[in-house]
Amino acid sequence: MNAPAIALNGLTKRYGNFTAVDGVTLEVAPGSICGLLGPNGAGKTTTFKCLLGFARPTAGTVAIEGAPVTPATFAALAYVPEVANLYEPFTIAEHLTLYRRSYASYDEARARELLTLFELDPRRRARKLSKGMRTAVALTLAFSIRPRVLILDEPASGLDPIHQRHVLDLMIDAATNGAAVLFSSHQVGQVERAADAVAILKRGRLVVNSGIDELKTGEKIIEATFEGPLPELRGLADDPRILRVERVGSILRAVTREGSDEIAQRIFAEHPKSIRIIDLNLEEIFMNAVNEAVA
Amino acid sequence: MPAIFTVDPRSGVPLYLQLIEQIKRAVALGMLGPGEQLPTVKALALELTVNPNTVARVYRELEHDGVIETSPGRGSFVRADAAAESGRAVNDIAWAAAQAAVREAKSLGLSREETQDLLLRALAHWYETEKDA
Repeated sequence: MNAPAIALNGLTKRYGNFTAVDGVTLEVAPGSICGLLGPNGAGKTTTFKCLLGFARPTAGTVAIEGAPVTPATFAALAYVPEVANLYEPFTIAEHLTLYRRSYASYDEARARELLTLFELDPRRRARKLSKGMRTAVALTLAFSIRPRVLILDEPASGLDPIHQRHVLDLMIDAATNGAAVLFSSHQVGQVERAADAVAILKRGRLVVNSGIDELKTGEKIIEATFEGPLPELRGLADDPRILRVERVGSILRAVTREGSDEIAQRIFAEHPKSIRIIDLNLEEIFMNAVNEAVA
Repeated sequence: MPAIFTVDPRSGVPLYLQLIEQIKRAVALGMLGPGEQLPTVKALALELTVNPNTVARVYRELEHDGVIETSPGRGSFVRADAAAESGRAVNDIAWAAAQAAVREAKSLGLSREETQDLLLRALAHWYETEKDA
């Protein structure tokens, strides 16, 4: 097993009384892509800032390729913030020049390829670019240094669907070459396609941290309808494999984390009129994770 | 390999299972012949825009199921005995569909007898249609 390229251990960040990130432990191995999901304000960007050394953790540790973050870390790390930081008076070509001078691993041919891919004119100045084009420039720069660690904060924001697809392909290409990728997104479908692991943040806490396949295989809804009053089903609410039980009229609904077949058998023994096990897609799993235990 | 595979991220079925089923189906229907080479993990991951570890898992499981064989440095190929294997794959897929039909009928509250009647009518419908054609 490879040592994790990205490691957060009990990461906590407080601003005064506000806890932005609360005990987050997460690892991304080389060759793996982890999608970070969470509502606005859940702590995604703060997590990235701590990971990159832009903010000092209140507690816990972060490591890139097994070591604390130092300026040398950035030789093999690329970070694309949600809003791209560019040098406003510089042309895109001048940005490439800057990267050529700053990074030993800079790959000019690759950079030119990416400009074509994103349909960017290298003569244009940063301050004249749209939000999506700025993101595309930042991505071009990030991938041009062939980084071993990629941290991308909503890398597809402002891009059209075709360019969004290119971003996923770039991440996939990087992962097949051994890079570790951690990216946040509001588009669950992107995470489902590109990532092999998914982490979900809710109010600073990691509520899901799992392989996507395992998550989708385990998380189901069992829906049973009964004639007459719903059975008591003692212990159902305390079963650790069950995330939530809902009772609405003649319908009993149980959201399971795992063991759905066995739990369905148990409910079936109460003679429901009908019963079914519903597969959940990642979007529904995400909604369950961020809405659970609201009460 | 022709671009015959698609994945549906909105489905509740994990992507690796979707791909395994589609490749088995392609082998069963002869769209992928014995000895035919499959794309590399990287090529298929990029073509479908899915995670490379997902594709690697698909290949591992297809190899385990005897549908493909992988030789290091050369790539992955549909097995020579795929004709025999494909029959099994067809059966697997048809069995899963039959299971789903019965499960669905059960979930709607139909009795065993009603479900059996339904399946017999479906059989009569399809084989009657063939006779007419």
